[in-house]
Amino acid sequence: MGKTMERRKFLKTGALVGAGAAGAYGLPLLTSLRASAGNALAPSAKCRWGMVIDLTKCPPNCTACVDACKRENNVGSTGDRLRDIYRIRKVTIESTLAVGVAPKAVPLLCNHCDEPPCALVCPIKATYKREDGIVIVDPHRCMGCRYCVIACPYNARHFNFRENDQRPNPAYPKRQRGVAESCDLCAHLLDQGKQPACVAACEGIQAKALCVGNLNDPASEISALIRNHSVKRLREDLGTEPKVFYIGL
Amino acid sequence: MELKFERIAGRSKPFYLLSCGLAGLVAAGVYSTWLMHDQGLHLSGMSSRIPWGLPIVMAIFYIGLSAGSLVISSLYGVFGKLEYKPFARVATYMALLLMIGALLSILTDQGRIDRVVVEPFSHFNFLSMLSINPFLYSSYILICAAYLIVMMAGNEKWTKILALIAVLWAILVHSGTGAIFGFVPRALYNSPLLPPSFVAAALSSGTALMILVILALFRLTGRPLDKAPVLWIGRLLAVLVLIAGYLVLVENAHRLYAHESRAAERFFLLGGAHSLLFWGGLLLVGSVLPLLILFHRRAGASIRWVAVAAVMVVAGVLCERYLIVIPGLAYPPDLFPGWTITQSPIEEGIASYAMSLYEVLQALGVVALMGLLFLWGLRTLRLLPTEARRPTEFPARAVAIGCP
Ligand code: SF4
Ligand code: SF4
Repeated sequence: MGKTMERRKFLKTGALVGAGAAGAYGLPLLTSLRASAGNALAPSAKCRWGMVIDLTKCPPNCTACVDACKRENNVGSTGDRLRDIYRIRKVTIESTLAVGVAPKAVPLLCNHCDEPPCALVCPIKATYKREDGIVIVDPHRCMGCRYCVIACPYNARHFNFRENDQRPNPAYPKRQRGVAESCDLCAHLLDQGKQPACVAACEGIQAKALCVGNLNDPASEISALIRNHSVKRLREDLGTEPKVFYIGL
Repeated sequence: MELKFERIAGRSKPFYLLSCGLAGLVAAGVYSTWLMHDQGLHLSGMSSRIPWGLPIVMAIFYIGLSAGSLVISSLYGVFGKLEYKPFARVATYMALLLMIGALLSILTDQGRIDRVVVEPFSHFNFLSMLSINPFLYSSYILICAAYLIVMMAGNEKWTKILALIAVLWAILVHSGTGAIFGFVPRALYNSPLLPPSFVAAALSSGTALMILVILALFRLTGRPLDKAPVLWIGRLLAVLVLIAGYLVLVENAHRLYAHESRAAERFFLLGGAHSLLFWGGLLLVGSVLPLLILFHRRAGASIRWVAVAAVMVVAGVLCERYLIVIPGLAYPPDLFPGWTITQSPIEEGIASYAMSLYEVLQALGVVALMGLLFLWGLRTLRLLPTEARRPTEFPARAVAIGCP
């Protein structure tokens, strides 16, 4: 008799523990359901910024966009390869599938994903997607947990490891240590009706490889570029819905 | 025979010396933490590619240990096994301290410590594992504290209720911690098996640590200890190590089998110094050898060997924690399938991480703080029984391993 009572008690406890485990999995499941439901509404916004990068027009050794970005956004350099910040960087890629394919120079930046994993994981919503599709970090709220840096599948996020005293652009705040950093499409310039610094610099050297515009406006230059070219986005298979389109990749 | 819980005297010279040593380490930890935040986290070994380092490794290690401690306490609290009652208070206290240590490691790892107090409360993101977890952790600390208080007050009914809540909460906490990694789209992170395997490793390491703590405490205080319950915990440990090992095996076999993760898995298994931690640390020292010992008829019945196995399991799980965090970050996402990046101003490809002295000092500081709180807890609270013997047994049959 005593034995069966014990067993019953044991089973009851076991069942409760099981229920606890189920709860632990239920929570993330429910919240992720909410995630996809919320984001499905995003493209209806009137303005949805995106970028087209035409690699056929991008000269291999040019870093005009990178330099202009650093100047505009007060992102300094210290020569520390592991910790220097590049909101936009230029890499060279070589084919691993076939020999004799010419290497390509590719500017890489935040893709302003429509389903941004960085914003999904930010514990305090310091990273968020604006109404117009720009993914942005609020440097005054970010607590520097670096979870977004980890979640971004494009290595587009960096972290301000150091206090940065370089401030070539007095109109823009100094970059402070301890917060995440990534391209925000120069939202401060777009909001004033100006071009992002990289796009302006690229136009300045007559290359015109970069184009930023409203993806929701069929009459915009960017919409025409996407219509008339075969464009690629990075790792479309991840479901992050990037809004940076490459021509000639 | 009624169990009597007594404080330790804590007036001996070694006690004070140990306390001073630990306090010194705490001071060093505080100083290096302050430096890292005053000057910037570049003083740590972390980089933009490996932005989480030793503090997170240690945090999830403590979180795991905490769960295991709670399991030992629940043997009495939830399952009513009287022979484990002597360890229940210490175990709960340990669970509490380890969780505080974990929370401390995470908090001091933030880039802006000044913001962690306000922002998580004002801008809660229910979709972020890192947002949910601190709440789980702090509530877990409160539950453990309440559980300890009612247990020490001798309230049987509430001890049962709170013990059960604490165990359920612990599972939630650990699944949540596993999910911080398992739910992120990186080749070596993204896995639904990570939360359960995190729980399994947690339980085995914590159980092992409790064995060591129990043995050390009773020996150092010269209080008699019946070895049967400890040996039984050893057998429990063997089962937990088996389960944890099984999950690790399944996870890695799957990654090796699936095309999309094969290259990443190859890096994990054979890609560098961390692979040594996997084969030598986690598999050999952390799983195979302790299993051989614990299942061996004679070694498994010897306190000394069970203690050796326990040390090995704890070390193995520490390796496992490192293996959860670092290789997953070091392995790069494949930005251009079919292409490789040959030039870049930042580190592309496989990233490297070498922990810095500041990080190590910070980690030691947290360990020392927990040690200090543990020692002084023993001195101020009635956590340890004067003796731990089977209630039904003749005192003569108890083996007083405390008195050499
Ligand atoms: S590219 Fe990275 S940082 Fe940019 S929105 Fe996508 S996930 Fe976020
Ligand atoms: S580093 Fe800042 S922006 Fe990134 S996830 Fe953490 S709090 Fe959010």
